[in-house]
Amino acid sequence: MQYSNPQIPEGINTSKTHPLKEFFWLSSGVIAVIVAALLILILLSDLITGYIPFSVEKNLSIPDFPASYQQGPMHQYLQTLTDRVTLAQQLPDDMQINVHYIDNDTVNAFATLGGNVYFFRGLLEKLPNENALTMLIAHEVAHVKHRHPIKSTGRGIVLALGLSLVSSTAGDALVDTILGGTTTLTVLKFTRDMENQADKTALQTVERIYGHLAGADGLFSALGETSNIEPPEFFSTHPLTEIRISAIQLKTTNQKDSHITPLPEDYKGWLTTPDAPL
Amino acid sequence: MIDLIIFLSLLALGYGFGRYAEQKHYRSIIKREKLLSSLPVIAAKTPPNVSQKADSILVSGNVVISVDYFKRFISVLRNLVGGRVTSYETLLDRARREAILRMKAQAKGMGAKLIFNTRFETARVFQGSRNQVGSVEVLAYGTAIIPQAKT
Repeated sequence: MQYSNPQIPEGINTSKTHPLKEFFWLSSGVIAVIVAALLILILLSDLITGYIPFSVEKNLSIPDFPASYQQGPMHQYLQTLTDRVTLAQQLPDDMQINVHYIDNDTVNAFATLGGNVYFFRGLLEKLPNENALTMLIAHEVAHVKHRHPIKSTGRGIVLALGLSLVSSTAGDALVDTILGGTTTLTVLKFTRDMENQADKTALQTVERIYGHLAGADGLFSALGETSNIEPPEFFSTHPLTEIRISAIQLKTTNQKDSHITPLPEDYKGWLTTPDAPL
Repeated sequence: MIDLIIFLSLLALGYGFGRYAEQKHYRSIIKREKLLSSLPVIAAKTPPNVSQKADSILVSGNVVISVDYFKRFISVLRNLVGGRVTSYETLLDRARREAILRMKAQAKGMGAKLIFNTRFETARVFQGSRNQVGSVEVLAYGTAIIPQAKT
């Protein structure tokens, strides 16, 4: 008996598909499914969180920042402007805005659960006039009005839950990376929609209060000064400052001669001594 | 963001080096298979009737090959949707053929004419975190027939 091993043709036990082609189809397919699932989750979350009463949201509130002032001249001034804004935005009676002033260099302001709105000295001292400050307050109050804090909390919870389910099933760190990246982008995209909505409402509010929009772009000029490098729009939470300014400028072109309301004379003093006696 | 950059670099690195190593390995395998084709390797359990007096001796060839990041990533995505894990097919194909070649080289050195009762063992040498495949070991072993010199 004669034995021999003939040469076996290549590619019997292996696939001829190019690995990059397989990589492309697999990853785009998986990412598409993930994005679709996340969108459905976000949609469902938004449907539900819209029905959570504001009184319940108040009980969910995060603990107060230790260094925020809820009294003093600055707080009172902010509260006065906020009251005008809430009136102009026709907030429901039970939706109360709690103004907080934080004596800190951070150039920021934010609205969070329970109608708590925080303003940092860093941003307030950059504002050129009252119109810009009202624009800022109107923007943050608009977030509360549109229930954005509870919506994004709901989205965050639902997404975290979904992610932990999928990644524990898939059981791989690599999948976590992909899932995490996809989710971050999706969440940012939606937050940007919220910012646009808040901007729109804020502009309407400012127009209702002052009868014009002049000076309101001072807010975005102030924000724009703080960072030299603008992130690509897709990765950014807030719409690019340039876009926002030009949107306002477009609206104000016919209102150049309008009267801009200056900030009170003592404003600079209030910034640094927020707890001074009234 | 930085995670994504690291991840993509690892992926590109895995693809580049992995593909280069694989193609180089395949070229070497095909070349050596031709060189050693005169020594048949069969799976039959019993030796063929050899008229000549012969020694039989255990020969083995062993190889460990590591998975690259790119292959592992594709296999993870495959785990989600199912189907042929093509990225591991080439890996194991290379390992099996390399193991046979090493076994053959050993037998050839001893003057063998045939290897029968060839068997394979496959093992996962390194188990990465969360059950990832790290490296595979393939061991090929068989009995070589070495004809005795006529006295």
